Amino acid sequence: MSKRQILGALTILFVLGLVFGLAQLFAEAYLTRVLITIAIYAILSVSLSVSNGFTGVFSIGHVAFMALGAYTAGILTLPLQVKATTMQDLPRFLGTIQIGFLPATLAAGLVPAIVALLVGAAILRLSGHYIAVATLGLLVITSEVLQNAEALTRGARTFTGVLPLTNLGWVFFWAVITLYVAWRLKRSHFGRQMLASRDDLAAAQAQGINILRTRLLAFVVSAFFTGVAGSLYAHFVLAFSSRTFYLPITFEVISMLVVGGMGSVSGAFLGAVALGSLKEVMRLLEPGFAIGPIHVPPVYGLAQIVIATLFILVMIFRPKGVLGDREIDPLFWMRWLKRQDDGARLKSQM
Amino acid sequence: MRKSLLLVSVILVLALLATSCGGQKATTSIKIGGVLELTGGLASLGNGVANGAKIAVAELNAKGGILGKTVELVVRDCKTDPVVAGTAATELIEVSKVKAMIGLVDSDLALAVGPVCQKNGIPYMSSGATSPKLPGQIGNTFFMSAFGDNTQAAAAAEYAYKELGARTAYVLWEKGIEYTTVLAKYFEQRWKELAGPDSVLLNDFYLQGDPKVSGQITKLRSLTKQPDVLFIASEPDDCGVVVKQFRDAGLNQPIFGGDAYDTPLLTQVATGVSDVYYTAPSLLAENAGSEMGQKFYKEYVKTYGHAPESAFPALGYDSIMALAKAMEDAGSTDGAKVIAALEKFKNVSAVAGNLTFGPNLNDHTPMKQVAIIRTVKGQLELAAMYAPEKVPAP
Repeated sequence: MSKRQILGALTILFVLGLVFGLAQLFAEAYLTRVLITIAIYAILSVSLSVSNGFTGVFSIGHVAFMALGAYTAGILTLPLQVKATTMQDLPRFLGTIQIGFLPATLAAGLVPAIVALLVGAAILRLSGHYIAVATLGLLVITSEVLQNAEALTRGARTFTGVLPLTNLGWVFFWAVITLYVAWRLKRSHFGRQMLASRDDLAAAQAQGINILRTRLLAFVVSAFFTGVAGSLYAHFVLAFSSRTFYLPITFEVISMLVVGGMGSVSGAFLGAVALGSLKEVMRLLEPGFAIGPIHVPPVYGLAQIVIATLFILVMIFRPKGVLGDREIDPLFWMRWLKRQDDGARLKSQM
Repeated sequence: MRKSLLLVSVILVLALLATSCGGQKATTSIKIGGVLELTGGLASLGNGVANGAKIAVAELNAKGGILGKTVELVVRDCKTDPVVAGTAATELIEVSKVKAMIGLVDSDLALAVGPVCQKNGIPYMSSGATSPKLPGQIGNTFFMSAFGDNTQAAAAAEYAYKELGARTAYVLWEKGIEYTTVLAKYFEQRWKELAGPDSVLLNDFYLQGDPKVSGQITKLRSLTKQPDVLFIASEPDDCGVVVKQFRDAGLNQPIFGGDAYDTPLLTQVATGVSDVYYTAPSLLAENAGSEMGQKFYKEYVKTYGHAPESAFPALGYDSIMALAKAMEDAGSTDGAKVIAALEKFKNVSAVAGNLTFGPNLNDHTPMKQVAIIRTVKGQLELAAMYAPEKVPAP
């Protein structure tokens, strides 16, 4: 990494660290919850950008990996007494262990990554609309399998008793790692191969790029971090079922990614922050509010309507998202300072 | 354009901070929070609860409020999403400073709100969640205004056995949903206790969202001995469709369902059907049911211009009234005192069946009579108010 890149990375680390640090010290439960929610969606959005954005494989079924991650981590961290009363049919090796949050979350990333490797080898040969539908099939199949694997997941019944292990610290940790991996991947030769295979498949193949392997790498990395987000989500909502990980969450994450900019790591991240905050601000306005003498009556559903409208507008006017493929240079403040400096120097020379 | 996304994000986050940190002035009203499903998949039920609760609040305020203070219902839409439900509950407790909470007809959503209330010692009366496991999973701040699924299934089994004289049963349940899965399990458990271990002639299921049951009907008709009663655990969307198929196939035994049948969709789809029974919190009608129920019915029609869609408005009403009575009994809005007062409830009148609670966690699921409602040529009538003798453990 060049000096500039290191400085840029440190800037981002500093800013995020400041936000989370201040929140840890001063934020009460409500703001903490909102921040954790936005951060989990940011991890989902950034990991989806690695697959959908970098390689153009528009996966609609990614939430399947989130579900796998949630159940994996949930089962691994579940206290033994809870397992004994509500999950008596677990295979013995699962029913008698209880591990910590970090190893469980790593497992929550690995299981979907392995599934992604196996499934990807088959479906990543497709392109365009076909691959989108194939991944949707993956979502449906995963949902059904989870529902029928009653011994492992309690089937359609709610999976409860999950320990509330997600907190600002863990979410910050995983968000930083996800951002770092995605950013480094994009700047590496793997990343360039991915972008090339997205932009011109035939030319990329002519260059000798193995399309399947490139896409598979993106798909697996993306699945890993989506699984991690699933674990964080599971230990945040504390109760879920296979129905929880289905189309509504899918649409939320995709809209964040699409609005922010599919091929951009900072776009995916900021898309999640912007839409997540927007949704919460709208939700607070829903019960009605007053601007001076004007009383606005309650409009429930305002948040969903506003976000859907925004999504449509972005699709019409900037279909690649606000940022498209470009990234925000974290050192833009340095460039601004330098410009002031240059201006002063030029003036003194005149 | 690049920086504008960053700028917009920063502005929105600041707006968020501003709205949430807006200090609350001390008021002389008592705030009760309601996290409700006003949009999303369960909106038809959540809005009913909201309507019923609002009637209760208006009634209370007309009589001077609770402990002399005005009652304010602070409502938040959880969008049938557990993350939003948890966030809304935290917001209500922390920012709006509510003293008690009502709401939520779905057990999964109640599990998102319950722990937040439990952590803050805020009494929470759910308005329609029926899983009897919930108090054990959440803690002592949690109460249910609706009976547990084990109670309604037991009532169905006992009524079919004792009043309808049935001795053999067929059980069909919708696979993929907790509610229907456990309802059928509780029914079968109680039924076998009453009628013997071989009394369920066939146990079958159909997949969620796929209510075409011709295959299951064929399987049933191929049995050498036909069952006396059909227990069909379905969701509101499917119950009419499934019942109609059974009747159209010439199967005219009594059909029994759960409180999900308490929807206009049943008689709208399975038109003119008879001998379909279901358990519900109450039958709300102008000239049937209890006096309190009729009064509520008339008030509802007067306020909203149409009849209550189901029993859920009644549960919303009862949730508020129960909390109000507990606060009056305790003489305070302190969480622990209100909980203690609720636990002393014995046969307290309510629109959707009288409420009895107790100090054990399992007794935070009320002991209630169950309304057995019967259809006669597509019209609903109250067959009985029935309290089951024995209820399967949660």
